[in-house]
Order: sequence, then C-alpha cells, then structure tokens
Amino acid sequence: MHMGEYIPGDSPVHRLDPRVKIGSTLTLSVLILQGGALSGGVISAFLMALVPLSDLGLKSIARAFRPVLIFFVLLFVVHLLFTDGHPIPPFPPWRVTVTYEGLFRGAATTWQFALLILSASILTMTTQPMDLVSGIERLLRPFERIGVPSHDLAMMVSIALRFVPTFFEEINRMRVARMARGANFKSGSVARRTRAAVSLLPSLILQTVSRANDLVTAMEARGYRRGPRTYMKELSMTRSDYVALMVIMAIVCFHAVCH
Amino acid sequence: MIRIDNLGYQYEGSNGRVLQGISMEIAPGKYVAVIGPNGSGKTTFVRHLNGLLTPTDGEVWVEGMNTRDAASVPKIRQRVGMVFQNPDNQIVGMSVEEDVAFGPGNLRLPPLEIRRRVEEALSAVGLEDRSSRSPHTLSNGEKQRLAIAGVLAMKPQYIVLDEPTTYLDRSAKDRIMEVIARLNKQGMTIVHVSHDMDEVARADEIIVLHEGRVTLEGSPSKVFAHAERLRGLGVAIPRITEMMWCLKQAGLDVRTDVFSLEDACRELAGLMKSEKG
Repeated sequence: MHMGEYIPGDSPVHRLDPRVKIGSTLTLSVLILQGGALSGGVISAFLMALVPLSDLGLKSIARAFRPVLIFFVLLFVVHLLFTDGHPIPPFPPWRVTVTYEGLFRGAATTWQFALLILSASILTMTTQPMDLVSGIERLLRPFERIGVPSHDLAMMVSIALRFVPTFFEEINRMRVARMARGANFKSGSVARRTRAAVSLLPSLILQTVSRANDLVTAMEARGYRRGPRTYMKELSMTRSDYVALMVIMAIVCFHAVCH
Repeated sequence: MIRIDNLGYQYEGSNGRVLQGISMEIAPGKYVAVIGPNGSGKTTFVRHLNGLLTPTDGEVWVEGMNTRDAASVPKIRQRVGMVFQNPDNQIVGMSVEEDVAFGPGNLRLPPLEIRRRVEEALSAVGLEDRSSRSPHTLSNGEKQRLAIAGVLAMKPQYIVLDEPTTYLDRSAKDRIMEVIARLNKQGMTIVHVSHDMDEVARADEIIVLHEGRVTLEGSPSKVFAHAERLRGLGVAIPRITEMMWCLKQAGLDVRTDVFSLEDACRELAGLMKSEKG
C-alpha cells in the first residue's frame, strides 16, 4: 500500500463528484497556507470530521503520513532552533537556540503541513485515478477554447497511469531474468546494488519507446485524433455535491471574515 | 469491397520496394489469410488496408474511398478495424470497459450509445464479467479478446488481425480462433496474417507473399497442394496436410486436400471402413 493510494469504498465522500473534491482540496490548501489560528482550527475540525465520513481508518491515515514523518521532524526542529525570540531555559541565549517563539512557529508550521497532507490524502484515498483524470479533464474543458488541450492532457495522464502496473511487472521480469544469469540485486554495497538497478534503465527505456510506437499505431487504427472526444461516463453533479460546495464556501467566507 | 491496385511501397530513407505490384480484391464476408516468410511484407501490406500506410505506387480503395484521401481516413478506419500482435500495446483504457469505449469515443458518439456498444462488444468476446477490471490483471488471451472488442465497438465491416495469436498459449489461441470464426460466420470480413498454418486452413482464400509480391493465391486446397514450393519459400503447410501427404507417399489412397483434424478423421475412417468391407 503506497502513500495516499485509493482505498475502495462507498462512503458519502467516495461518491462525491471528483471535480468537487479536487476544487475543495485546492481551495482548502490555499486557505491553510494563508494561515490564521481561527480558520486553521475550523479547517482542522472539518478535515478530521471527513476521516470517519470517508470510511477511512486511522491506520490508513497513519500510512499516508509515514513517508513524510521525517519532514515533519525537520520542519519542526528548524523552526524551533532558528526563530528569534526568548530562549526557553535551560537553553543558552545564542543565535541558534530553542525559543518560545520557535516552539510556537514550529508547531504551527508543522500543523499546517499536516493539514495539507491530510486534505490531499483524503482526496486521493477516496477518488479512483480514472475519476481524478475525468475530474481534471472536465475542470479544464472550458479552457479548451483558449488553447488548453484538456482532452489530450487527460488522455496522456490516463495512458501513463494505465501502464504503471505494467511497468512494474516488466521491471520485475527483467530483474528476475538478470538474476537468473547471475546478476545481484539483493546483497552487496549500496553502490553495487544501485548500479545493478540502474542497469535496468536502458532496456526499460528502449522497450518503452517501442511500446509507445505500437500504442500510437493502435490508437490511430481506432480513429484517435487530437481534440474533443466523448466519454462513456460523463460526470454530473448531485445534491450532495452542491451541499459539499456550500460547506466549502462557508469555510472560505469564515476565513475571509477572520482575516 | 477493398480493392488493391498495383500496390507498391517503399519505406522513407530505405532503398528498395518492400511491396511490389500487388493487386487483388477483398470481397465482403470473405475470410482471407495472408501468409509468407518473415520479411515478406505481410505487416506492411495489411497496414495499407486502413490507411496507416499510403502506397508509394498504386492505389488502395476501401468501399470506394481512396486511402490517400485524408478526409476519408476516419471513415475508412471505422470500416476496417485492426488487431495487433502485442496484447499490451493496444490497450489504452484504465479499465476493460474504458478501453472498449475508446473507439466509440473517438467517433464522438453520445455516452448512451457508447455504453450500449461497449456491452455488446464485451459479450461478443466473452468478457462481460471483466468489465471493470484493470488491463494488467488480464491474461494475454483476455487482452487480445479485449483488443477485438475494442475494434468491434466501432462496428467495422472488415477486421484485420496481424498475427494476433503470437503471444498466446494453445487454449487462448483456440479461443481467439473461435471468436474470429464466429465473427466471420456473422458476415464480418476477416483478413488474418499468420505464421500458423493450422489457423489459416479454414480461410476462404490464402495469399502467399514472398519478397513483397504475391507468389501464390487461391483456396487452401489450391495453395497447400504446392507443398514443395511453399517449403522452398520458407512457409509450412498444415501439419494435418503434411501427415496426409506422408500417408499418400507410403502408399495409402488418401486425399491430400485435407486441412483440419475433423476432415482427416473422416477421410481415414472412410478409408479404413472401405478396406474392411
């Protein structure tokens, strides 16, 4: 299970239109970065309430945070030590020291970062990659007339995503084939193992180029052309989506009023 | 009707013609097999049938439309579908049904119509219970059936299959051949490039390519009667047919225009009954 990977489910949040979820995540991220204790508190409460509403267990959330834990610590420590202000005894009054202001700043910044991660994770954990692409495509569609190729971009992203598991299989196959011929990926120095891993790259790249060539031919054979196309499933807003939008609007207004 | 008129082709930057002087007609409803040794130009040839390649010499007409005419190409590609050799490198969708919807989506059909065609195409190839699966969870045989479904969803009149069974095991091969045979029976014109002589034995017509030219053409009986000549060209004949030739040379009075297991059984059973009686 990777960080923020989609977890299948049928919660109210899962069922929301991806456009609403993407738009909300972006909006909330802006508000979080702008800061402010009061709106920060409201946003924190909102996001934490979303977790049970998305049928996401605490374990999944913890898994989403694991890779970035080290950044949290770093962020906190940097602010703790490098913020000017009143030193906390017994720390000496040097330029670089532990201060009350530093403690506060460290905690606040780390908390902001955590909220950003949380909102993005809720988005990716309740929305299938395919739906994320549909949502982005639909959001960008009005900009098609000013030259943003929304359909082409969506196609590129979805093809890339479709091939990710295939690439994993391919790399594994290559690795195993080389191991059968005596290559060593498991033991030895970090340098040696890295070199072994990197040696897979040229073959993978060549194979990918050849694959892309075949794919383009197949796509053209099925009538692919650049520009607008139709889809089997078109996104449509339901009442819950409008309710969600209003909640987000309310948070935005609250934030604007507070600051 | 697909009409090929003195087709010649040379790749850009290369020296000689890869195809020369090919003329033929592919009539609707027929099952045409294209065979020949490696490098004979089979793949290059069939890519002219849907306008992926345009001729250096000569013309290719699909239902009266010329493949050189860029405006006709979209319609030509709807009429003539193509399935390729590598199962993975034809699938663009993130799920089975998304991939089948790709073709109709390119035709800009309304969502409801796309959904209808996707369901039809998936049941035609037997993948209806796999509709929300991701492509990488499918076996190679299922991926090729998916590729065929993706083509069927565009409602073509001709399907070209370029060595579709190369990456498949025996049972998957048989499954694909079943699908092809059924489609042909329902009126679909099939152009099948193959290395497997047992597969092409049931074709209506066989075209043998050699160094870019048509060396031999005709019904399987006619073409496979030239066993020696075919062997010289680097092309095999169906194993069953080889066996019948062997038996004939050993002195048994059997027909050699036998290309399937069923026909061989019948012929040998008939022979043994007459010997008894």
